[in-house]
Amino acid sequence: MGIVAACRKILIPTVIALFVLTCVVPPATAGDTLAQVKSRGTLRCGVSEGIAGFSTKDASGRWSGLNVDFCRAVAAAALGDAEKVTFVPLKASERFPALKAGVVDLLLRNTTWTLGREASLKVEFAGVLFYDREAFMVAKTGGARSIAELNGATICVEKGTTHVQNLADYSVAQGLSVTPLIIDSATEVANAFFAGRCKAYMSDASQLAAARLRAPGGPQAFVILPDRLSKQPFAPVMRRGDDDWVTLVRWVLFALIAAEENGITRDNVRAMRESARNPAMRRALGESTEFGRALATDPDWALRAVQSVGNYGEMFERNLGIHSPLNLERGLNRLWTQGGLMYAPPVR
Amino acid sequence: MTDVQIYMTMVVFGAVILAIAFDLIDMAVAALLGVSMLFGFNILAEEDVIAAVKTAGGPLALLFGGMVVARTLAGTGIFDRIGTVYLRATKGSGKRFLLLLIALVAPLCAFLPNATTVILLAPIIIRVAVALDIDFVGPMVLTAIVSNSAGLLTLVGDPATFLVGSSIGMTFGQYLRRVSLGGLLSLLVLIPLLPLLMPDLWRLRRPLPPRESEKPFQRPWFALLALTVLAIMVGLFLVGEDLPIPIGPPAVAIIAASLALLVIYSVRFEPVDNVLRDIDWKTLVFLSCIFFLVQAITKTGLLQNFSLKLYEWFGTEFTLAALSLIAGIALLSSLLANIPVVAASIVMVKGYLVAVEAVPELALGAHFTDWPAATLPVFIAMMFGGTLGGNATLIGAAANIVSVGICAQNGKPITFVRWLRYGLPFTGCQLAVSALYVLALFHFSR
Repeated sequence: MGIVAACRKILIPTVIALFVLTCVVPPATAGDTLAQVKSRGTLRCGVSEGIAGFSTKDASGRWSGLNVDFCRAVAAAALGDAEKVTFVPLKASERFPALKAGVVDLLLRNTTWTLGREASLKVEFAGVLFYDREAFMVAKTGGARSIAELNGATICVEKGTTHVQNLADYSVAQGLSVTPLIIDSATEVANAFFAGRCKAYMSDASQLAAARLRAPGGPQAFVILPDRLSKQPFAPVMRRGDDDWVTLVRWVLFALIAAEENGITRDNVRAMRESARNPAMRRALGESTEFGRALATDPDWALRAVQSVGNYGEMFERNLGIHSPLNLERGLNRLWTQGGLMYAPPVR
Repeated sequence: MTDVQIYMTMVVFGAVILAIAFDLIDMAVAALLGVSMLFGFNILAEEDVIAAVKTAGGPLALLFGGMVVARTLAGTGIFDRIGTVYLRATKGSGKRFLLLLIALVAPLCAFLPNATTVILLAPIIIRVAVALDIDFVGPMVLTAIVSNSAGLLTLVGDPATFLVGSSIGMTFGQYLRRVSLGGLLSLLVLIPLLPLLMPDLWRLRRPLPPRESEKPFQRPWFALLALTVLAIMVGLFLVGEDLPIPIGPPAVAIIAASLALLVIYSVRFEPVDNVLRDIDWKTLVFLSCIFFLVQAITKTGLLQNFSLKLYEWFGTEFTLAALSLIAGIALLSSLLANIPVVAASIVMVKGYLVAVEAVPELALGAHFTDWPAATLPVFIAMMFGGTLGGNATLIGAAANIVSVGICAQNGKPITFVRWLRYGLPFTGCQLAVSALYVLALFHFSR
């Protein structure tokens, strides 16, 4: 029997078997990204290559930081396990190609929410995770004491970020003549600055504080000038067109903020599901199955998110605030009830 | 799409291609079974049907319109007349027959939709081939290959060139200055290959039959009206999109088909049912299935994933990236319809250029047109790969599928392997020439 004839003979049973198989393969449900994450069993989160307080990897290979915690909270909500995250370190210039190409499910790389990005790149921002502003860092000894003194200076900035354009815009607006030295990654920019290749380093104030921690001669050898430039609201980013996924990620963020507002912490969240004064909060924490079903996950999604990383305030203090080497003020990142901008719509 | 579904998509697509390549079952049945499985595995959902119809609608409308108009014209006797002129022009030489075929097909396909042009010219080419007593399969394969390649001559010559060009804001004039010469070279390289790939045909000398006195048109009014429909179709193909209410080529084809059927009906030449029955539905069904299969492949996102790989492999070596793109996209276009391949590749290449910082991140958006000169050859490489790659196999382009369908209808089915015998060497040489052209573009853009 020839090869072709043999192939023909096995073709029909194979086709029938494949049709039978179609009945047992589980169908994808809800949004595509959530279905992919569930099928893969891990959330792929795009983070920086290393920004202290936001996303850094220690010697044992464990990631930590505010962005990392948020990824873990999403994994806890979507997959039931905060550890089921694969962190994908990305250069600034790689982040949007990676997101658009589906290399990551969620992007948390100190990415500023801007009109240009949302309108042109067709991406969705979940909400603001951290409010920042741009600043300049200079050497304490012999450095400038105000932005005006940077006239004629060389300024280090990171490639592929909004800082490059913002520096150009600010210079024009303020009549400053500066020379930008654009360098590939955050680490390389800091190294160039500490090596004396630029008079100042321009970036997000939080990123400057993080870079200062590893300055030669210690953090006290450098100062961050008090002047602030452009607004930098950092937000988790997703591809547009997957409403179910966007809704889940957005409400994980709101649940973390609402938990702080309602005094729900990592330690008391289980007890609070039974005893929280606010019935809506109890329902959100799993008393009602309605929200979990609507988000294509299960009733305990919010409970698990808070239990895994704590509420927003706990995340902030652990990574950026008083319990962290950065020791940043909460400032605009306080709750709206305390004069800040952190506000979650009603979880009901 | 889940990982399991991605694997299933690749398995189903691979199985369909192999079933066609080894001629295990009828190609339309293989493609239909493949699509059925994709629905069964829940890989294709309602939104995919809409997306596939959106992509396939244009090419299918062009084919349907072309088939109806060609079938209507067949009744006028016009093909016999042009065929006679063509036959006389060959002077009985196979070499002249092939060269005239290129000269006839290429200019038309530089402006008109390829597959439609093939449908309109096929009756003439087959008539001349039969009159010269030669197998028309080779000339019909050549017709499809020339029609695809001629698409590179102008920005509007092929959907792939138009898609890439419009995505980077390239104008008709810029295209003529930067790309058309490369298209012409890839077309001219076919000529020295003809004596090697079609030696019998190239050397053929046949005495021509004695000239017969031309018969007058049997139904002059019918012929006049049918030719008017053809003139309207060609005219609208050329200027339809510039009208106050733009009429795109697919709409033009539908308008022409409707007018042709109206002519048939009003002059009572024959029942409309006869014309519709003679349409090559099998080709249309097969092509529809291919579009559904390609939609599933596109949905896997595998192609788009390569943007960061390109960055990893080539860094800022645009020349190497461009040469790899010619080969890679050509390979994919030989197995898939080139429109979705090119559409996915545009996302990939833009992502690559953003990752290497050749352009700002906003270049990932649809409205960015400020591409540096050094990056343009990368896009031009995509045009060559996408347009010429389809020549390699019988499923690589709509014009190929149409050609195969026409040959089958005329009693000469073409197998996958037989097409490859012509398609692979032609495509290989064309890609080599286009790679040299892209290298020259890089050299002069420095």
